[in-house]
Amino acid sequence: MAEDLNWAIGGEAGDGIDSTGKIFAQALSRAGRHVFTSKDFASRIRGGYTAYKIRTSVDQVQSVVDRLDILVALTQRTIDENLDELHDGSAIIYDGERSWEAEIPEEMTAVDVPLKSLAEDAGGAIMRNIVALGAACEITGFDVEYLDEALEKRFGGKGSKIVENNKEAARLGQEYVQENYDLDHLGYDVETTDNDYVLLNGNEAIGMGAIAAGCRFYAGYPITPATSIMEYLTGRIEDYGGHVVQAEDELSAINMALGAARSGARAMTATSGAGIDLMTETFGLVATSETPLVITDVQRSGPSTGMPTKQEQGDLNMALYGGHGEVPRFVVAPTSITECFWKTIEAFNYAEKYQTPVFLVSDLAMSVTEQTFPPEAFDMDDVEIDRGKLVGEDDVDEWLDEQGRFRAHAVTDDGISPRAIPGTTDGAHMSTGLEHDELGRRTEEEDERVQQVDKRNRKVETARNEEDWEYREFGDPDADNLVISWGSNEGALVEALEYLEDDGIDVRVISVPYLFPRPDLSEEIDAADETIVVECNANGQFADVIEHDVLTRVKRINKYTGVRFKADELADAITSKLSEEVPA
Amino acid sequence: MSSDVRFTDFKSDKQPTWCPGCGDFGTMNGMMKALANTGNDPDNTFVVAGIGCSGKIGTYMHSYALHGVHGRALPVGTGVKMARPDLEVMVAGGDGDGYSIGAGHFVHAVRRNVDMSYVVMDNRIYGLTKGQASPTSRSDFETSTTPEGPKQPPVNPLALALASGASFIAQSFASDALRHEEIVQEAIEHDGFGFVNVFSPCVTFNDVDTYDYFRDSLVDLQEEDHDPNDYEAAKKVILDSEKEYQGVMYQDENSVPYHEQHGVTEDMSDIPDGAPDGAMDLVREFY
Repeated sequence: MAEDLNWAIGGEAGDGIDSTGKIFAQALSRAGRHVFTSKDFASRIRGGYTAYKIRTSVDQVQSVVDRLDILVALTQRTIDENLDELHDGSAIIYDGERSWEAEIPEEMTAVDVPLKSLAEDAGGAIMRNIVALGAACEITGFDVEYLDEALEKRFGGKGSKIVENNKEAARLGQEYVQENYDLDHLGYDVETTDNDYVLLNGNEAIGMGAIAAGCRFYAGYPITPATSIMEYLTGRIEDYGGHVVQAEDELSAINMALGAARSGARAMTATSGAGIDLMTETFGLVATSETPLVITDVQRSGPSTGMPTKQEQGDLNMALYGGHGEVPRFVVAPTSITECFWKTIEAFNYAEKYQTPVFLVSDLAMSVTEQTFPPEAFDMDDVEIDRGKLVGEDDVDEWLDEQGRFRAHAVTDDGISPRAIPGTTDGAHMSTGLEHDELGRRTEEEDERVQQVDKRNRKVETARNEEDWEYREFGDPDADNLVISWGSNEGALVEALEYLEDDGIDVRVISVPYLFPRPDLSEEIDAADETIVVECNANGQFADVIEHDVLTRVKRINKYTGVRFKADELADAITSKLSEEVPA
Repeated sequence: MSSDVRFTDFKSDKQPTWCPGCGDFGTMNGMMKALANTGNDPDNTFVVAGIGCSGKIGTYMHSYALHGVHGRALPVGTGVKMARPDLEVMVAGGDGDGYSIGAGHFVHAVRRNVDMSYVVMDNRIYGLTKGQASPTSRSDFETSTTPEGPKQPPVNPLALALASGASFIAQSFASDALRHEEIVQEAIEHDGFGFVNVFSPCVTFNDVDTYDYFRDSLVDLQEEDHDPNDYEAAKKVILDSEKEYQGVMYQDENSVPYHEQHGVTEDMSDIPDGAPDGAMDLVREFY
């Protein structure tokens, strides 16, 4: 992994850290390099430490590591926060003209660039971060032309003057380092390729998947880290005949989405844990009224307000069991950014095919991480739409009772009833959260209650048989050591395999995207000597589920610091976990 | 829509379980007649209701309908109308459903001006939970949970609507069948959020706000030369705490409904077999 370059910019929130990082990531992507980004941010608008990190390589990268090669530090805290990851060869770009005197460890290369005054020379102090990007290009030998392209993309809409000023700022940064330092690119050779990559994060992939799947209506309430799904859809879904409503609260959001879904649109809402709590009552209604609805939970640290800008996978139990009474639901959890796209499309298909709520469970790390992919990874020609048992004018008659009333909740062998959307002649019917008969009308009759409960549960059995609830697999399929994971940990695990292999440890990794219904892992666990379940929560919610399914104790690796797993850290944790006793 | 629709086509074959004499019978009859009068039929009509006595209406009417959770009928109606601007959307609620648990949604549905009619059966008490104070109960109204009265002023739903920027505000009385039907019809015909607060007496638990009380005290704005397009006149009537009025208090004739403001005209239920045309543009945007 010699090709790896790890770059970061850090400062206070409000310093433009995020957009600067994004511009550099885009420049690297334009140069045909792979990029993996991560963000440290605090829950405040201005002030507080914030950083944007990029790992880049010509090979695919899908994890963060404990190493920083180039750091643009706008504050001392940026240096202090990253001391662990800085090494003897690291270069730190800072502005010595600013009031703080940077304390930089002697072994590192301090690159003092007058960011602010050079930015002013180019047309405005606001461009100081761009000066730093120019300096970073010079230090690493990365062609500044790619940065120009990214600047055009970023500022093109604001007029050519702004674009030119920014390019000039980058150039001044580059020249300053050239003239004042003799670094010889610190030995870096930032190779470029002709590959065309796209760069996007998990929430963008979910939004894109929703539009691809025919989602036309979205209602949501702003909440970190789900909001960017709504931001993505707003301004794009209209081009496809859809609309986004920013609702007054989460209760409203899910009920609006329910209304749209009942009238035949593919509809979605997205939120994070606290918002899911508010939606839970309606979640039961969605299930009993058998309305196809996709509910996305982008998990963050809980409980309560927890750590809103930090990573966690703590909502699994809520997704599996949340709500009063017993409610069949599907829970799908993408394991990578491309899977965010494809699993969103699947979620819409499951929702309509089985007329159930589908929880699409993502997490903060995936939502804010940008990663490069070949565009074919999102090939729209591969998108398939299954609208399930939608009846029209021609076949509605089959589902009428002797009085000509539509049996919207007809008891069927597969548990799936016909679905007539408003406007369908003779399809008029009521649906309700009350227990109901085949016509959707309230009942407390014992037999009818049991029939409807069984019918709804039978959908899950049908789905178990009809769909492939497979898992993704990495590493050595015959290894004695089995590691099981869900959600965004997959990338770090896959890279951890390389470290483990170097140490002579063979591991089979199973990454599970379907949490309910889910694959039966009994055989895989039986075949292994050791099973470890990796997840970002304290109690091991998925490990509990697996122990319940397989009736075997498993080992657990849990991280709940609020920060995602890193590849090297996971390799160490797996190594030491393997030597531990299996819990009794 | 067929021209030979009769109001009984909107009737289901379920017998209401409302108490004999309940105001909700008259309220519902007027709703069904108004729907038929305006050329709608059960197949293009979506009725949404929440929980409580009012929430039962979807069972007794025949149309596409959803009986949802307490207080959330208006968001459901909003979702229906946005996805299907071609449908006639009517939302039914009660005073607890609409002005207590759903008060937030009321304010926002009003200010969005979603093109639907909202009929609230206001009996100034919680009936289905057997007689507790509601948001519109008088401050001295004694109930099981307020033995000395709520000791707080009732919500004035008309004023709440006006303050939220309503484009249509009306009030009717379940027992004045013809006027109630006319007023609901005007709410349906209004381009935007047609709000009607209906005095719908609870004969079991409310012995103050009775049929006789409304019959004796109700002033009909039609006989008062009231101009509903006159905002100041509407304000005066709505804030008048001395009298009870029926009729259309306020109507903004320039009202533009939410879906039109947002350029939503398409039927969102109709989607292509695969990804929409040009969907690869969404991917290329990330170059």
